[in-house]
Amino acid sequence: MYIPRSILMLLVIIYLLFLLTVDWINASGELWYRPFIVGFLVILVASWAHRDQEQDEP
Amino acid sequence: MNFDLTTLVALGSTYLSLLFGIAYITEQGWIPQRVVRHPVVYVLSLGVFASVWAYYTSISNAQREGYGYLANSIGISLAFMLSPLLLRPLLELTRTYQLSSLADLLAFRYRSPWVGTATTLVILIGVTPLIALQIRAVADTADLLSPDASHAAIAVGFCALITLFAILFGTSRKPGRTQHDGLIIAIAFESLIKLFAFLIVGGFAIIKGFGGMDEMQAWLLTQPELLDSLENTNYFSSFHVMALLFFTASVAMPHMFYVTFNENSGRGALSFASWGLPLYFLLISLPVLPILWAGIYAESTAPIEYLPVVIGAAFDSPGISLLAYLGGLSAASGLIIVITLALSNMCLNHLILPLKQPSANKDIYRWLMQRRRVLITALIWGGFAFHYLPSDRISLQVIGTVAFVACLQFLPGILAILYWPQANKRGFLSGLAAGIAIWFALLMLPLLSEANSFSDIAINWREIAALSLIINCIAFVAGSLYFGSTDEERSSADLCTLDTIKRRKRSGLVAKSAADFIKSLSKPLGERTATREVGQALQDLKLKKDDRRPYAMRLLRGRLEANLSGLLGPSIAREIIDSYLPYSIVSQHGSSDVNVIENRIEAYRSNLSGMAADLDNLRRYHRQILLDLPLGVCSLSSDGEIIMWNRALEEFTEINSVDVVGSQLNDLPEPWVTLLKEFIGEDIDHSYKQSFELSNQKRTVNLHKALIEESGDTESPYEGLIILMEDMTETEILEAGLTHSERLASIGRLAAGVAHEIGNPITGIACLAQTIRDEYHDQELNGLAQQIIEQTDRTSKILQSLVNFAHAGTNKLMHENEQVVICECIAQAQTLVSLDKKNRDIKLDVDCDPNAEIWGDSQRLLQVLINLINNARDASQAGAAIILAAKVVGKEVHISVCDSGIGIPNAIKSRVFDPFFTTKEAGEGTGLGLSLVFSIVEDLNGNIDIISPLDKDRGTGTQVLMRFPCYDPTLQKH
Repeated sequence: MYIPRSILMLLVIIYLLFLLTVDWINASGELWYRPFIVGFLVILVASWAHRDQEQDEP
Repeated sequence: MNFDLTTLVALGSTYLSLLFGIAYITEQGWIPQRVVRHPVVYVLSLGVFASVWAYYTSISNAQREGYGYLANSIGISLAFMLSPLLLRPLLELTRTYQLSSLADLLAFRYRSPWVGTATTLVILIGVTPLIALQIRAVADTADLLSPDASHAAIAVGFCALITLFAILFGTSRKPGRTQHDGLIIAIAFESLIKLFAFLIVGGFAIIKGFGGMDEMQAWLLTQPELLDSLENTNYFSSFHVMALLFFTASVAMPHMFYVTFNENSGRGALSFASWGLPLYFLLISLPVLPILWAGIYAESTAPIEYLPVVIGAAFDSPGISLLAYLGGLSAASGLIIVITLALSNMCLNHLILPLKQPSANKDIYRWLMQRRRVLITALIWGGFAFHYLPSDRISLQVIGTVAFVACLQFLPGILAILYWPQANKRGFLSGLAAGIAIWFALLMLPLLSEANSFSDIAINWREIAALSLIINCIAFVAGSLYFGSTDEERSSADLCTLDTIKRRKRSGLVAKSAADFIKSLSKPLGERTATREVGQALQDLKLKKDDRRPYAMRLLRGRLEANLSGLLGPSIAREIIDSYLPYSIVSQHGSSDVNVIENRIEAYRSNLSGMAADLDNLRRYHRQILLDLPLGVCSLSSDGEIIMWNRALEEFTEINSVDVVGSQLNDLPEPWVTLLKEFIGEDIDHSYKQSFELSNQKRTVNLHKALIEESGDTESPYEGLIILMEDMTETEILEAGLTHSERLASIGRLAAGVAHEIGNPITGIACLAQTIRDEYHDQELNGLAQQIIEQTDRTSKILQSLVNFAHAGTNKLMHENEQVVICECIAQAQTLVSLDKKNRDIKLDVDCDPNAEIWGDSQRLLQVLINLINNARDASQAGAAIILAAKVVGKEVHISVCDSGIGIPNAIKSRVFDPFFTTKEAGEGTGLGLSLVFSIVEDLNGNIDIISPLDKDRGTGTQVLMRFPCYDPTLQKH
C-alpha cells in the first residue's frame, strides 16, 4: 500500500490538532466559530499536502 | 409569513429556466472549455453532496448535538483530503475500465453480474428515501412560505421540471461515461447559489437578528442549554459514526460516485478538490449555528430544520426567506438530477440489460438512451411516491440517516477492491446480505411504521449502524476465506489491488486484426456498432487499423471491454468480449507482462518512498543501461513475443521499437526474421560474423544469446530469451583494409627486392656502355652507347623510386626529416604514377617553383602526392589534365593538386578525411587514402584544405591545397 509522505503528515497533523484544540473549541462561553478556525488550518495543510499529487491522476 | 403562490412558482420556474439556459449554452459551446473544465467547476459540482441534508437537516442536528452537526462535513472532507488512499486509485480504475457506477465497479471487481444487481437493488432501496427527502423539503418549505399552496401540486410541478431537465441534459446517444458539460455547469451553478444563499441568510441572522456578533455572543451566554450542547459535544459517540457514514457516502452514494469519477474534468481536478471541497463544506457549515440561534431568539414555531426559510420573515425581511427557499430548491434539485442519472445507468446495466439486450440490427445507442430516459422518469416519480409513505411526523434527519446507513454496507466491499485481493463475490454478497438484513429490520421497518425519531426505536441508530457494519465485515471475510476465489476473481483482483505483483500472462487472441474484431463483434452488436466501437478503441489507443501485433490486439481487446462496459455495464461487456473475442491460449498466472507492470509502477512513481523508491530507481537505472547499451539488445518472451528492442538495435535495423515491441518474432521483416530465427534454432550461444545484405550493402554481425531464468512459472521452462547483436560491419571493413595494406606492403617489399636485383645488372650495362663510349671513337657506336647510358639512367631512377616508395611508411621511427626539394618529389611522383597502366590516359601538368623546399620526409610526401594524383585520376575523365603546382607564398610552400573532375558534394566534404569513408564502388577503395594523407600532412607540420567545386558555374573540379612551412636552415638545425 503506497501512502504518500505528505498524506501521512496530514493525518498526523489532523490528529494532533484535534488533541490540542478539542478543549479550546469546547471552552464555555468562548467564540462559537473556533472549530472553523481549526478546520481552515487543516484545509491549508491539505492544500499543501496535495500540491504535488496532480501527476498521478489518470 | 404568507407569500403568494404565484410568486413562489414564478421564482422556482425562473430559477429552473435559468438552469436550462446555462446548461444549453454550455452544450452549445458558448462557454469556453477552460471554464467548463476548470477545477473550481469540478469542486462546485461536487457540492451537489450538500443537499437538503446540509442545508436544512444540519440545523436540527446542531440543536441536538452541538458541534456534532459538523460530522457530515468532516466525513466527506476526510474522504477527499485522503484521496490518494481511496478516491485516486478508484478514479484510475473507473477511468481505465470505463466503470460508471458503484455497481459497475463492484461487478467488475467481483466478476459477477449478481454483485452488480444486488448493489443496484440495495442502492435503489436505500437512496429512494433520500430522493423523497428532497421532494418533501421543497414542498414543505413552499407550504411554510405559502400556507394556501397545495403540497402535492408543488411536489408534482417540481418533479416534472426536474424530470425534463435530467432527460434533456443528462442523457444522450453517447456511451455512459461521456461527460455532460451542460449538466455539470448547471450543478456547479446550483452549488454556488445555495452557498451564497446560506451565507447571506447566516449573515442576516447575525446582523439583523442579533444586531452583531457581540450581541449574539452575549445572548448565547444567557442560553445554558445551547452552551451545554456545544460544550458537551461527544466526539466519540454518534459524531464519528456519522463521519464514517459520510466518508463512505463519498463513494457509495450514486450521485457522489457519478460526479467524482464520471465527471472528473482531468489532470489536477481531484487534487484541487482534495482541499477545495472541504473548504466548500466548511463555508456551508458556517452559518448553521447563527441561523439556529436566530430562529430560537425569534421564537419561531416552524420546524427547526426549516429555520433558514423562516427567519427572514421573522425579522421582517421576506426577501431573505425567498433567497433561502431558492437555496433549498438548488440543493434539492441538484441532488435529484444527479442521483437519478446515476441510478438510471445502474438500473439499465444491472437490472434491464441482464434480462433483455438490444438485437444486433437495432441502433443500440438509441435503444439505450430511450430506456435511460424511462428509468430517470420512473426514479423521480418513485421518489415522489415514497415521500408520501412515511408520516409527516418523521424528521428529515431520520429519513436521511436511514439512507446513509444503507450505503455504509458497501464500505467493506469498496475497501477490499484496493486492499484485499482474497475478497470474492460470495464473501461480498454474504456480507452485504447480512448488513442489509439488519438495516432493514432495525431501521427501515421502524421508519415505514412511522417512528418519529430514533429515540422511539429500541436500539439507537449509531449502534444499528455499527452492528450492521460489524456483521457485514465478519460475513464478508468469513465467506471470502471459506469459498475461495475463482481464477476470474483473482485476475480482476490483480487489476484492482494496489499491492499485488501478479499479472496475467501474455496470451494470443483468435482475432488477429481490427478487421477480425469488427467481424466477431458484428454478431452481438451489429456491424455498424461494432465498426464504431472498434474504431473508437483504436483511436483511444492511437493504434493503426492495420496493426497486427499481439500486444496491440490485447490492448484493443481490453479497451473494447472497457468501452463496452461504459455502454452496457461490465457484466454484459465481459460476456460479449469473452464469447466473441476469446484467447487462443488459456491464460495462466505466474508469468508477468513486463509492460503492464512498468505502466503500473510509472503511474504510482511519485507515491513511492523509502526502499520502494530505491528499488524503482534501481529498476530505471538497469532499464536505462539496457536501452542505452551500444550493443543491440532484443528480449523475447517464452512464446516468442518481442519485449524489448533497444536504441542501438533501432539504429542498426532502422526499425522503431514501438513498431515491433509486442509483436511476434515471425512478424519482423527480412533479413532480421531469418537471421534471428536461425540463430535461436541453433544449439550455440554465440555466432560470429554472420553476413547478410541490407539496402544493397553487406552487413556483418556477431550474435549472442542467453536464456532468462524462469520466475515461478511451472508451465514454461524459461521466462524468455535475450539476444545481443553486435554490428561488426566497420570492423570487417577495417580488417579488409589492413589485409589490403599488408598485401600492398608485401608487394612493395617484393618490388624493392626485384629492383635491387635488377639494379646490379643495369649498373653493369651502364658501365659497359660508358666503356664503349670512352674507349671507342666510332661516332655511331658512341651515339648508341650514349643512348644505352641514358636508358639505364632512366631505369635506375625508376628502380630507385620503387625502392624508396617501398621503404616509406614501414616504420615511423625510421622517418628522418631532411631538406625536401618539392620539385624533385613531384618529379618522382610523376615517374611512379606513370608506371601504372591506369594513368596512361591522364595528362600531368607540373608547375613547380624550384625554390620550394620544406623540412620533412620526402618519402612520406611522395606517398601523399601519389595518393592525391590517384584520387584526381579517379575523379577525372580520360585525357583530362591534372595540375600539380608548388610555389612559395610568404613563409609557406603551397602544393596543390587540381583536377577537373566531378567535384565533391558539400554534404560529404567534412567526411572525406574520415577513415573508411569512400565514395568508390565496393572493393575499389578502402577509404583510408585521404585519411593517411591528412595524417602525414599533420605530421609534417602542414595543413590541408579541399576546394570544390573549382568551377562554380559547372560545379566541377577539385583542388587539394597543402601548406607547409618553408625550409629555414637556421631554424631546422635546432
